[in-house]
Amino acid sequence: MTEFVLALVLGLLFALGTFLVLRRDVVRVVWGVSIISQAANVYLVTMGLLDGTVPVLEGHGEGAGAVTDPLVQALVLTAIVIGFGTTAFALVLTYRVYEEHGTIDLLELGGETDGN
Amino acid sequence: MTPDLWVLLALVGLPFLGAAAVPLVYRVLGERTAYFAALVALACLGLVGLLYGTEGAQSIDWIPALGIELRFYVDGLALLIATLASGVGVCILTYSGGYMHGEPGQPKYYATLLAFMGSMLGVALAADLITLFLFWELTSLTSFLLIGHYTTESSSQYAARKSMLITVAGGLFMLVGFVLLHAVSADALGTSTWALAGEGSMLENAGAMRAALESEGLLVVALALLGIGAAAKSAQVPLHIWLPNAMEAPTPVSAFLHSATMVKAGVYLVGRFRPLFLPADAHPGSLELWTLGFAALGLLTMTVTAILAVAATDIKELLAYSTASHLGLIIAGFGFAGHLGAETGAFHILNHALFKATLFLVAGIIAHEAGTRKISELGGLREDLPITAGIAAIASLGMAGVPPFNGFYSKEFLFHAAWETGAASGGLYYLIPVVAVFGSVFTFLYSIRFLMLFFGEKPDELGHVHSPPVSMLAPPALLATLAAVVGIGGITGTFDVPLGPLEEFVGNVIHAVEPAGAEETAFHYYLPTTVTPWAIMSGVTIVAGAALYPQYGRLHDGIRSLLRGPVRANWWYDTATEELNPTSTAVRDRVQNGLLRTYATWVSAAFVVLTFSGYLATNVGVPLPTEPATYLPLALTGVVLVAAVSVFGDVSLRTATAVASVLSLLAVGIFVWAIFGFGLAPGELATQPPVVFVLALAAVAGIAVSRAPSHIAGVLTLSILGFMVAIFYILRDAPDLALTQLVVETLVLVIFLLVLDKLPAFYGGWNRGRMARDGVLSLAVGAVVTTTVLVTTAASPNEESVIARGLAEASYPEAGGNNIVNVILVDFRAFDTMGEIAVVSMAALSIVTLIALRERGETR
Repeated sequence: MTEFVLALVLGLLFALGTFLVLRRDVVRVVWGVSIISQAANVYLVTMGLLDGTVPVLEGHGEGAGAVTDPLVQALVLTAIVIGFGTTAFALVLTYRVYEEHGTIDLLELGGETDGN
Repeated sequence: MTPDLWVLLALVGLPFLGAAAVPLVYRVLGERTAYFAALVALACLGLVGLLYGTEGAQSIDWIPALGIELRFYVDGLALLIATLASGVGVCILTYSGGYMHGEPGQPKYYATLLAFMGSMLGVALAADLITLFLFWELTSLTSFLLIGHYTTESSSQYAARKSMLITVAGGLFMLVGFVLLHAVSADALGTSTWALAGEGSMLENAGAMRAALESEGLLVVALALLGIGAAAKSAQVPLHIWLPNAMEAPTPVSAFLHSATMVKAGVYLVGRFRPLFLPADAHPGSLELWTLGFAALGLLTMTVTAILAVAATDIKELLAYSTASHLGLIIAGFGFAGHLGAETGAFHILNHALFKATLFLVAGIIAHEAGTRKISELGGLREDLPITAGIAAIASLGMAGVPPFNGFYSKEFLFHAAWETGAASGGLYYLIPVVAVFGSVFTFLYSIRFLMLFFGEKPDELGHVHSPPVSMLAPPALLATLAAVVGIGGITGTFDVPLGPLEEFVGNVIHAVEPAGAEETAFHYYLPTTVTPWAIMSGVTIVAGAALYPQYGRLHDGIRSLLRGPVRANWWYDTATEELNPTSTAVRDRVQNGLLRTYATWVSAAFVVLTFSGYLATNVGVPLPTEPATYLPLALTGVVLVAAVSVFGDVSLRTATAVASVLSLLAVGIFVWAIFGFGLAPGELATQPPVVFVLALAAVAGIAVSRAPSHIAGVLTLSILGFMVAIFYILRDAPDLALTQLVVETLVLVIFLLVLDKLPAFYGGWNRGRMARDGVLSLAVGAVVTTTVLVTTAASPNEESVIARGLAEASYPEAGGNNIVNVILVDFRAFDTMGEIAVVSMAALSIVTLIALRERGETR
């Protein structure tokens, strides 16, 4: 049941992300990429195969059979950190593009590379 | 006696090791690396010598799961090709020492030549279809590098591309044929196998394989696929066009690859598969599918390319067409059923390699010493190059098929086989011997033309021609001597003193290409002593050739005037490739025009189309919820979303409030209806409300981001989305993710604000048409994602094989950690984490560079 809501929300977030990526403003493109990667992370977490408790064990490792899927969590944790790195890089790149070209309008920037 | 596995591995491996050592050796020896390479080839020849007298297969496992082995098989045919590859290799590499003096790119040249030799040895010895294919394509690859040796010349590039396209494409056809044979072998042998020769192989059970192929109606298909592969490699009409261009390579390469060895790979394949497709009781008159296909292909190639050779203006071009023509002769020979066909093919492989490699080396001497390769500019070279003239005479008379030179005997076998086949069926089939004679007349003509370069008057423009160095003269002399010995063997054979070892050697080759159970007869060759139809055919060829030779110039011009437009196979190739260029440019300009949105549009559209067609093709059903309770949170989400759209939409506050209140009332109504109408307990409805609520808020935040009136508003709402995702992680039992997400969101917010401070307030507007198009595309992407999430979450794979379960259970005993996610990150998958840290450090370094460089005043 929650899966159905989740599917709708993820679809909506991907649609919004795609829409933003298609904008002229570089900052909006960065937002779009950010939204898409957030949505992908959420999707991955829900794709964990096991349902159960928090994957933190007590004492000497009892209850390992009842935890939720720790592997996707590890993967997504890596993805979040890398997403942070790329977002920061994209932002600074945007800043640099503005410094170089004096605009953050992708139409204008694209036209410029066309001319070269 | 079966061959020793170590000898086989050493034989195939040694040239590759030598190739790897070449760059180092070149530093020490310089141009004398040629002799190092020749020594490697000599060692290989010695190893081939060790294999004489052995027969059988040896194998080691390669990919056991797929039944693929590294399997080698030794028999007469394999030994012949291996001897040619290593023996001619020695001559060529020695010759290169003189020829390549002062040329660029020598380390690459010698390394590639050695690698080629190893691949060719691999082709000769491989008996597993996949191993064979591997070495087969390696020869194409090394040939590509060698043809394109002069990397800056556009004609070299064109030639290398052409040969690569044709031979590799042909190889792919062959691969499909191999896979087909593999599939059929399951029916024929009980278990499917890739083994071609040796125990439990396809050739050992040729009868069963043939029956299975026929019963499944795949005989023609398999034959055609293998035939295309062989024809592409062995330059058969109409795929012969790459061979004349391949003459762009340095002459030793042409002599080695494009006359004696690589082009023999296709011929080898035909010989190797001959016992599989020809029944043991096939006789010249039985006209199997095999005969119809390959004899026709061979004779056609032999005739067409012999005519083209007469039209050639360059000596290497002449030799290239002549090579294609002689390969046609060999294919035709293997095509004829019965013993005579096998004799033709097997013996001519040897003879052709001897005289053609010699002639190429002679052509190399002429080009090197006279400075031109134009036939019209050359003549009377005998005065300056007497030894070379003698060598050329032996080789070109052999090529012409004049008795008692070596080519005569194998051509006599062809005439004999052609006659027998024609006579057995009668009627129109008499065309077979007629075509064979017709083609041979042209062979005679161009052979004599080549020889006449050394006779007649020397043109005045041709200055003094130097004598070649010994290293360039000795290899062709050796090869010509061997050709002469074969010829003399025929003379002595006539008087019952045959050349025993040679006849036995060729006899073994014939045995290898004959179907199992065929009648065994010893191989002998000699000059004709009685008048037979085939002796008359030889006579007619020589007399007609001699009579036509004075008209050579007119023939040459006449053929050239006919070669225009679509008559030339090259026209088709050039037109096809040139027409593709503008198409690809047009596609590129459309898909990648420098605008980010164009790239994104194409990628998203491709994603939508491909995924949806995948779902349609596989008939995936979308699992829709059936219980009414499911629709309640759904309705609630819908209400919230519509409300959000209207709030953030371009409507007045009053309208938005009105819509939101109507929707809220509606939602409450649905709940009331569910509780009283269906009797659902409120607790049941409340099982997952927090998650639904958080997701709905995240969606609202997403909508707000995309409609944000300013950068600051957008960043703040983006943060709300991020924090909602963090709460979602908490609800899904992932505290580590939630912590990370919170930290990252905070940092991203700070960075955004820092950067936005420096950016202009540009928000960009679009016209409504574009907005609508983007909206439709975005909705399509969203629909695909929703479907995918529904489909994937509904499927549940085998719980037994879940990796995560194993990791969770191993966490404490193996790593002593209670937090399984932490253990995975820092212990089980620590290298992934290291990669992740590397990515973050790279990003940090790039950021510092981008900002610091700017501040130092650099503009680019």
